[in-house]
Amino acid sequence: MSNTNANASAPAKWTRRDWLRWSGYGMWGASSCAWLPELARCWAQSPQRKRHCILLWMAGGPSQTDTFDMKPNHANGGEFEEIATSVPGLRISEHLPKLAQQADQLAILRGVQTKEGDHGRGTYLMRTGHAPGGPVRYPTLGSLISKELGEPDAALPNYVSVSPRQLFNPAAFSPGFLGPRYAAVTVGAREADATASSSFAQLGVDHLQLPQGVADTRADRRLDLWNGLQQPFLARHAVSAPQAQDTAYRRAVKMMHSDAAAAFDLSREPEEVREAYGRGVFGQGCLIARRLIERGVPFVEVTLGGFEDNAIGWDTHQDNFATVRRLSTQLDNGWGTLMSDLRDRGLLQDTTILWMGEFGRTPRINDNAGRDHFPNAWSCVLAGGGIQGGQAYGQTSEDGMEVVDGKVEVGDILSTLCLALGIDPYQENQTDIGRPIAIAEGTPISSVLA
Amino acid sequence: MVSRGKTLSCFGKIALAVWALLASGAAFADTPSPDTMARRIDTLLAERLAHEGVTPAPLADDSTYLRRATLDLTGTLPSVFEVREFLADDQPDKRTKLVERLLASPSHPTHLANTWRRIMLPTDASLEQIQSVVGVQNWLRRQFAENNRYDNLVADLLVATGADASGPALFYTAYGLEPEKLAANTSRIFLGTQIQCAECHDHPFDHWTQQDFWAYAAFFARLSEAPGQMGMGARLIDLPRGEVTLPDTENVVLPQYPGAVSKVDELGGSRRRQLAIWMASRDNPYLPRAAVNWAWAHIFGRGLSHPWDDMGQHNPSSHPQLLEELADYFVAIRFDLRQLLATLARTEAYQRSSAVESEDAFEPELFARMALKTLTAEQLYDSLAGITGRPSSGMVGNLESPLLDPRRQQFVLAMQSQTQDATDYDAGLPQALHLMNGPEMVEATDPARCRLLRSLEAPFFTDRERIEILFLATLSRYPREEEFARCLEFIPESGPPEERAQGMSDILWALLNSAEFTLNH
Repeated sequence: MSNTNANASAPAKWTRRDWLRWSGYGMWGASSCAWLPELARCWAQSPQRKRHCILLWMAGGPSQTDTFDMKPNHANGGEFEEIATSVPGLRISEHLPKLAQQADQLAILRGVQTKEGDHGRGTYLMRTGHAPGGPVRYPTLGSLISKELGEPDAALPNYVSVSPRQLFNPAAFSPGFLGPRYAAVTVGAREADATASSSFAQLGVDHLQLPQGVADTRADRRLDLWNGLQQPFLARHAVSAPQAQDTAYRRAVKMMHSDAAAAFDLSREPEEVREAYGRGVFGQGCLIARRLIERGVPFVEVTLGGFEDNAIGWDTHQDNFATVRRLSTQLDNGWGTLMSDLRDRGLLQDTTILWMGEFGRTPRINDNAGRDHFPNAWSCVLAGGGIQGGQAYGQTSEDGMEVVDGKVEVGDILSTLCLALGIDPYQENQTDIGRPIAIAEGTPISSVLA
Repeated sequence: MVSRGKTLSCFGKIALAVWALLASGAAFADTPSPDTMARRIDTLLAERLAHEGVTPAPLADDSTYLRRATLDLTGTLPSVFEVREFLADDQPDKRTKLVERLLASPSHPTHLANTWRRIMLPTDASLEQIQSVVGVQNWLRRQFAENNRYDNLVADLLVATGADASGPALFYTAYGLEPEKLAANTSRIFLGTQIQCAECHDHPFDHWTQQDFWAYAAFFARLSEAPGQMGMGARLIDLPRGEVTLPDTENVVLPQYPGAVSKVDELGGSRRRQLAIWMASRDNPYLPRAAVNWAWAHIFGRGLSHPWDDMGQHNPSSHPQLLEELADYFVAIRFDLRQLLATLARTEAYQRSSAVESEDAFEPELFARMALKTLTAEQLYDSLAGITGRPSSGMVGNLESPLLDPRRQQFVLAMQSQTQDATDYDAGLPQALHLMNGPEMVEATDPARCRLLRSLEAPFFTDRERIEILFLATLSRYPREEEFARCLEFIPESGPPEERAQGMSDILWALLNSAEFTLNH
């Protein structure tokens, strides 16, 4: 691009309008990337653009053909009907009615193409942006984003993950080379309290509660004794390691004592609100996500699939339709209510949502009425703040087997997400051996950005 | 100083014969004793300190030294009995004797295997690979237990074929048998050189060219996995052909030893064997230098070149003369890693206090005081498990290993540091919550389940003795008077037994969560 230098010398003059004009061709080609880093940095620096992020992770790999890229006129289409949405011409599955009403918020990416068709490898690819197997321990998305958006001493964690299902590949959920302090604080399902009258899934922050038998007063006495051990040791060793240990503990103690931890207490929500989100782990997790976003937590992740009555998640090699129907209802209640709740509170414009799994599923229906792993042409969805909703970007062939338009890869999706959040995707972190690695590689999809 | 001849050393049986010959010659007649070498190290460090006008820290007390050496050489904490015995010992050479005892203990090779496994394997291995991870661990532990010469260990690894639970093949398969990745990692680990920058272009800071990189990678070009071994773990074979080419070209690059003039003899066995012979030979100055730099970093928290695996012109050593002499010493003592560690551990530098009142006064590269090192996740788990009295063990098929203990795996996964720099503490909020309230701590501080707490119930102890034991078991030191006083408040003499048990549990909780426990100081 000929005006690279001119732009680089005056990056602050770039407005969103300029940027959209430049990017009017859909996606940037590789050759036009030279000035992009400068622009991304300039845009990311704008304070208004810092947003929160919610990742809705679909464990097992959701079927695009039965959700967001229907093929009603083809044998591959399967049992489900399409329905119209609030956006003329945009149609999705009949089992996602709440989302259909809010389709103006959704940018459906129908041309996703990746190369990993194995659960473990696909999970790693989508969650880190990199294929597994190399010497670099790539950080998971939540660690990368929360490191950029979070406050190091906030009362609540910067990265919360509700019921992560790490079995396929634990490394795909790890903070990688960023180090363990950027790991998620996890929220897990609890055994239902026998005295509880509700049948809502019980969720709790792992390791936040005092162990059974340790009352608050005892915990305080214990901490007081601990403090008496810490102080003299820290005074005698004025270097960073003991300071860092002390800081981590004090932040954890602050969280344990903080009113902010009430964010995780869903009993404070009216019954009908909890009901609207759905009674399962995913629905209640989405409600926790809303409560955390309200309190400024920058990254929340909620997993659908792999627990309760559905151990296989979206991995529907058999009996695809009954499973997807059930999961779609949970998805629609949880996600749909989350978006309308955020919108009512004026928070949706500050929150970007990414819906994805490790891959899609074969458009062709197999002999067990199932669909198998399919990374060649599938869908992800971006929604909410910073996203130009009400559109499907990209297109697959009539049988759904090929991407015919708007092909995107994982790096494109993640860098788009970064820009929507107000983060410069090309900003680099250093690995433990000083190798610089960009937050996301790939080309942002400009027409999906608001 | 030992002169560097052109003699080629070998490995396996050949090596024994060659070394027997050499050893009888004059070359090693003046090999310094560990004590002499330790004093030489201190002299060289002192010269630099004097030059910089820095006063070294005083020697650490016996408690600190015992805890430090035990953690560094065996990975675990000293027992209450060991602390008492060591502190009561009034022999002047007790620190030297301690080091000898630690290096002869079965925990020593286990700890080195844990350490080297982390250096060698790329990522947190997935569940399918866990048996192969145990294979690497067991293979390494055997090498260290037999104190296999370090040059032989490297050579043996470079020609390894062994699969599954006994062999190190995962080192190769984990990198997908890709020549460029194996080149990058073997050169980093065994040559202390980050030549991977030269994979795509000439090294920006060092003298490595892209041609050098691919010439080195060519040694791994013929590596393959034996067919028909599904489910049995990989067996490695060397194919008769296979080449690497410069990226985006058709130009075949033939193997060439890095920085060496000697030619590769294509008739002298597989390429890996050729590399192994060169690696362990006196033509290769990088191997001993990298090894002593690793050992130095292991003991002192940072290398003489820092980080230890990135040596070269772009990263000059803080003490070049010392590095050189230490490498020569390592060659002279015939690559005896155990003796090298023993030598470093008896230096005054290693015995110094880590106390420092202001970070401004701390220049880590001068080694004027001891660095504080963070316990690894494995050290932390094993220390907690030791206090609890819970053996770590897990089974997969017929394979048994602490590495297969699911609870240990979970803990390590959550806590594992990602920095190569042992002086960093990179854990944060999630780990602090886990440590304070997680299952390991709950069990360790449960009067009914923790072995240490149960042992305190014995009626013949006084309360002062009970507190003493808790401190000795965790911090390897006696409590100070004010600590006694504070702790005694937690176990009122006339209180009900449950309250007293709770009180002792609370003292243990505070100790186990302290920075003093979590750091090796």
